[in-house]
Amino acid sequence: MNITTILFWFLTVLAIGSALMVIVSRNPVYSVLSLILTFFAISGHYLLLNAQFLFIVNLIVYAGAIMVLFLFVLMLMNLNSESEPSRQKWLKFAGTIAGGCLLLVLVAALRDVDSKSTYALVNAGDSGLIENLGKTLFRDYVVPFEISSILFLSAMVGAVVLGKKE
Amino acid sequence: MNGIILSAIFGVLMMFSSILTSNKATIRSLAIVLCALLLAGNIAEQSGWVLFHVNTSGMLHFSSYGLLFNSIAYFVTLLYFLLSARDIESVGINAAEYFALLFFILAGVAIVSSYDNLLMLFLGIEIISIPLYILTGSDKRNLKSNEAALKYFLMGSFSTGIMLMGITLMYGAKGTFALSGLTETVNPGRNAWYISGLLLLLISMAFKVSAAPFHFWTPDVYDGAPTVFTAFMATMVKAAVFIGFIRLFDTAFPASGQNWKLVLSVITAATLFIGNVTAIFQQSVKRMLAYSSIAQAGFMLFALYSYNDLSKEGLILYSLGYSLATVGIFAVLIRMKDYTFEGFNGLARTQPVLAATTTIFLLSLAGIPLTLGFFSKYYMLAAAVKNGGNLWLVFFAILCAVISVYYYFRVIQAMYFKTGQAEMEPVNAGFRWTLVGMAALVILLGIFPNLVLQYLYF
Repeated sequence: MNITTILFWFLTVLAIGSALMVIVSRNPVYSVLSLILTFFAISGHYLLLNAQFLFIVNLIVYAGAIMVLFLFVLMLMNLNSESEPSRQKWLKFAGTIAGGCLLLVLVAALRDVDSKSTYALVNAGDSGLIENLGKTLFRDYVVPFEISSILFLSAMVGAVVLGKKE
Repeated sequence: MNGIILSAIFGVLMMFSSILTSNKATIRSLAIVLCALLLAGNIAEQSGWVLFHVNTSGMLHFSSYGLLFNSIAYFVTLLYFLLSARDIESVGINAAEYFALLFFILAGVAIVSSYDNLLMLFLGIEIISIPLYILTGSDKRNLKSNEAALKYFLMGSFSTGIMLMGITLMYGAKGTFALSGLTETVNPGRNAWYISGLLLLLISMAFKVSAAPFHFWTPDVYDGAPTVFTAFMATMVKAAVFIGFIRLFDTAFPASGQNWKLVLSVITAATLFIGNVTAIFQQSVKRMLAYSSIAQAGFMLFALYSYNDLSKEGLILYSLGYSLATVGIFAVLIRMKDYTFEGFNGLARTQPVLAATTTIFLLSLAGIPLTLGFFSKYYMLAAAVKNGGNLWLVFFAILCAVISVYYYFRVIQAMYFKTGQAEMEPVNAGFRWTLVGMAALVILLGIFPNLVLQYLYF
């Protein structure tokens, strides 16, 4: 049992455990915090697969930006046990069916996957390295990269236009 | 490339101009001068003077068709600035920023008219849309403007999501974003992905040009937005998305191996019918023009339905004729105190010049001969007849054009044959002369449409 395998099992248990905590815990803030932990564990998996870019993007975008937004919304809504909406039977029922459907689709899609194929290169493979991504981005896709700056600039100007006090 | 780079730089310049000066007249003149420079830069590129040599690695392709459309869009924007720059300033305190956003939209227009890669199409559409959401809501104290902006933003985001999903499916089928790569057959088993992706793309583009049944946002947004920005939204932006649409029909749609005529004929017929019939029942001229823009989009859809050389020429003429007339009518409408039909009562007595030019623009929109509107409609229908086959759609379009005469002539009737005191804000001589020039152009090109079309074959 080498270090990669140990890390893999550790991250897997962490991911599944914290994902369970998301739905089990009654305090929504704890739910969000466990979700952040889940994202960290999944990011760790990306790193094991040599996908550096996915790792860092997953951390920055999901664990960072989106989760902070989640926390803000939760705190603004000021949820506590009195204002908690009553959990209806049929809602749970519908949730179970929806989740079960997703599970069915995932299992059906992954059933035929050859686990020994080159799709998952642990400790090898270079398609996910930041170096290669950067080369592609600045060689083949440099025009859209630069032009998206117009998009962001116009969005920022718009935010100022709408947000400024008159 | 001149158009994209210059308009982006000019947008930044406009942004910084508000630091240097708070004098509104200076900002206004700067915007007009920069727009003229932009037009000059694009015309220079048409005659082979490219200022910026950029290796776009197949992302953009500057054809004479796209460049001619850019020139038309910049030219109409220049006229729009000349007519309505004062009204843009009076929307709010951020005059320079409004102009900056308009220049950014022009950059998006140039991208959409010359993309060669679905990635660029997405970026172009977004660069057009996001400033428009903001301009729609720029009248912050007005509840209707806020509502329109929120509606437009939510619906627009959904349609962008649909477009991205479509592009993803197409990428999955073909393994490339490049339009030229779409024609290669990679895996016949994945054609279903390609077709469903194309259908999603069609839906989101139809949303952007407000074709039925994806038109429900249009009346509310056009009605709620500040009238100056409605004029811009309904003309240059709509025509640009059509030019982007037609580039898809060059390669992406034939590559699917399916016949899209049935889908398109249903969309076209529905757009014509809903636009024209609903416009009859409107009491506000602004809302009538919103529905009329849906109806005109129905005619522009003919260019896609009967995709051939004639229809491509027709789309150029149509975008020019429709934009000139609509910008002219809106410029007068902005100055009116009352936006209903009754508000126009007796305008011919108080403002004879404005009434006469508005009449010419309305006649052009209705497609009366000797105006540009007639030839643009003629090219569209002739292209459909040339392709043969479904003549019922052509007859239906003619019927709808006849219906449209009713509501356009209601305005003319109000101006000339009803008594009343049409109240409007004071207009200066420059405004009048610009309108007269535009009306003269509409008539001149209505007699000699080749004056524009010859530039396609340089």
